[in-house]
Amino acid sequence: MFAYVMRRLAVAIPTLLLLIVFSFLLMHLAPGGPFSQERELPAQVLANLNEKYGLDQPLWRQIISYVWGIIAHFDFGPSFVYPDRTVNQLIAAGFPVTLTYGTLAFVAAVVTGVALGVVAAIWHNSWVDYLAVGISIGAQVLPNFVMAPILVLVFTLWYRMLPGGGWSFNDPSFWVMPVIALSTSYMASIARITRSSMLEVLGSNHIRTARAKGMPEHRVIIRHALKPAMLPVISYLGPVFVSMITGSVVIDIYFSTGGIGKAFVDSALNRDYAVMMGVTILVGALTILFNLVVDILYAWIDPKIRY
Amino acid sequence: MTKLFATTALVATLALPAYAAQPAEGETLSDNQSLSFWILDAFKSLDPQLTSSRTDSDMIRQLFEGLMNEDATGAMIPGVAESYEMSDDGMTYTFKLRDSNWSNGDPVTANDFVYAWRRAVDPATASEYAWFMELMNIVSASEIVKGEAAPDTLGVTAVDDHTLEVKLTKPTPYFLKTLSHATTYPTPQKVIEAEGDAWTQPGKMVSNGAYKLESHDLGVEGVAVRNENYWNNDETIIDTVRFVTVNDQNIGLTRYLAGEIDWMNTLPAGRFPQLLEEYPDEAVSAPWSCSYAYLFNLSDKGPEALKDLRVRQALAYGIDRDIIVDRVLQGGQRPAYYWTHWATEGYEAPEIEMSEWTQAERIEKAKALLEEAGYGPDNPLSLSIQYNTSEDHRKLAIAVQQFWKAIGVNATLNNYEWKVHIDRLNNQDFEVARYAWCADYNEASSFLDYFRTGGYNQGKWSNAEYDQLLADAATAENPNDLYKQAEAILIQDMALAPTYHYAMAQMIKPDIRGVPLENVMSSWYAKDMYRVAE
Repeated sequence: MFAYVMRRLAVAIPTLLLLIVFSFLLMHLAPGGPFSQERELPAQVLANLNEKYGLDQPLWRQIISYVWGIIAHFDFGPSFVYPDRTVNQLIAAGFPVTLTYGTLAFVAAVVTGVALGVVAAIWHNSWVDYLAVGISIGAQVLPNFVMAPILVLVFTLWYRMLPGGGWSFNDPSFWVMPVIALSTSYMASIARITRSSMLEVLGSNHIRTARAKGMPEHRVIIRHALKPAMLPVISYLGPVFVSMITGSVVIDIYFSTGGIGKAFVDSALNRDYAVMMGVTILVGALTILFNLVVDILYAWIDPKIRY
Repeated sequence: MTKLFATTALVATLALPAYAAQPAEGETLSDNQSLSFWILDAFKSLDPQLTSSRTDSDMIRQLFEGLMNEDATGAMIPGVAESYEMSDDGMTYTFKLRDSNWSNGDPVTANDFVYAWRRAVDPATASEYAWFMELMNIVSASEIVKGEAAPDTLGVTAVDDHTLEVKLTKPTPYFLKTLSHATTYPTPQKVIEAEGDAWTQPGKMVSNGAYKLESHDLGVEGVAVRNENYWNNDETIIDTVRFVTVNDQNIGLTRYLAGEIDWMNTLPAGRFPQLLEEYPDEAVSAPWSCSYAYLFNLSDKGPEALKDLRVRQALAYGIDRDIIVDRVLQGGQRPAYYWTHWATEGYEAPEIEMSEWTQAERIEKAKALLEEAGYGPDNPLSLSIQYNTSEDHRKLAIAVQQFWKAIGVNATLNNYEWKVHIDRLNNQDFEVARYAWCADYNEASSFLDYFRTGGYNQGKWSNAEYDQLLADAATAENPNDLYKQAEAILIQDMALAPTYHYAMAQMIKPDIRGVPLENVMSSWYAKDMYRVAE
């Protein structure tokens, strides 16, 4: 196991490097640059800007010095569009926000999704099942960019219960709507996967055996059915968790949360190379990490899996 | 030789108490003196010399104060400068600065301006607005920007702590109007040198305006509170100015209606008429000094067809501006038959033939012109319209495509994101493209200069007579007459298809007073506003 984890981590480094090189090249291939603007800049100013940000160097040197900056000083460079800030500062300000609402939304999605799925499977083809399936289909077809304005309309304008946007780490009322809007469609997918996987497990031999030896139904479900039924759910959750904690541009736009999802999309549109790279690396590293976590969880849940 | 040249406006203002929030008789002030202003996007930079965005400028204008301010009508009034003299040749200005302080208590001196202005042009600062100092025609600005002269050769000197002398390369009628622009605000040398790029962060920033920076969560909100060291703090009423970022206009409007935002100065397209009906005390539209147009590429890279004046005329005639303004935008914008915004100070538009015709007449004329130029049903003209990503630009482009179809022109639509759109414009990689221009200062030259040969002029239209008129206007007693003539040439030669003049359709809470709706530059100062008890 330990050797396996080490091996995976060793592979992660070249993967990240490849990711950096590819994103770097793709970014520079895109037309327009960070300093393209209506009033063309005087040559000297442009030259200075390029020098300041190292854009006057050949691409390969830019990549090397960029990677070196990260390895040697954990420095992701200055933002091109927010001259008052560095990429480290931007991520340090935005990521905790995204991490907070993303984690909460993840927990909410998993808890309600799994519960709905299990309940639907147990009472298969009853009204409970139909209700659970109905809820999850409803949640699935209502995308968050539709849900967000509706939430603001209802909870901010009509009932005046929650602030319509903004962020505070001290005041949970700011968290509620982002968490609801972000979690629902994931919740729906989790419910569907749980339900079908649970149905399959409930029809399998070891469940029949457990029931046959007179084990109480709740123990059958919790001890023998739930664990194997979670396997497909968990493989789905790894990438979902990463995408939830690394931000949703929709949430950031509609709720002004200041997370990195919006920063990421803006950086691409503004050709803010450094911010774009910084967030790409963050997302890439987290994806690699959580894929590994999922694989480890697999081995823990299913003894048949060995590495 | 210099002589005292205090303009009447300045004398008048000096005689009055300093311009500030002035509640009318019988008005009771509200206990709530905070103002929440909606902004669409996060601040990019709060450094006066580095910013290039309107949103940033709205905040910077509260935090810093330049030599001049604008009043509610957009007229220039004294800021840090108490008075000024202009030399006979119009090329030297001497400003007397008032006693005023930075938010840390240090005095504001002429040197702070010298430092800031040199900083703006210094290529090492790499300011995207370095050109503004060139526009002001300050001695050596162009050379410094090009890297041919040292920043300290800039024509601005601190004669003493309270006297600032500015030398220009030529008389510049609009010079004073440039002095309320963020690029010209003083900045604190000591703080910038100590803190570097981080000096604009809350807790570090030192400013000289009526407010100081309290907090700034990027993409969430920025908050400015009273600067007790401001020279006119006693007459300032609004205590807190919050800039709330909401990236979606519809959500912004919902939050305005829920009372979380007090002022939204842009509304989702098409919503204004209904809001005006429901909230007549709050919905208001005010002219805003920007013009929207379709540019023709007249460079060598542009299509041959557009080089024919008749084709350009036909295309300009074909656009039904009333539909664009009344059906699509619906926010108090006006149809544009010329380039300079109609509400620009002192501007008188020339008579434009096509503005008198009905749309049916325009279409008829357009068809005839196209036929003359050799286009018709058998040989239809095909063009592409380029626009940048935005729901509104897309709607207009589709409308124009339909209008042109009616005169027998096949237009294809090309959508690019902003950075690419701009790149293509700058490289003349387009046929017809949407474009808009906002004035940098409240005078017609700010618009007309765009089409000067060697100006930004992305369509590369060029006319010697036009250039001469603008050059003459720079030293003329009454430039507006020359601007009128220049505008007439621009439209005679149809260098563009003017489309509409902007207006700001906005929602403002009814207890807020002092919003400068008459200032077409839409520059506002929270220090001049207040809220009344309802």
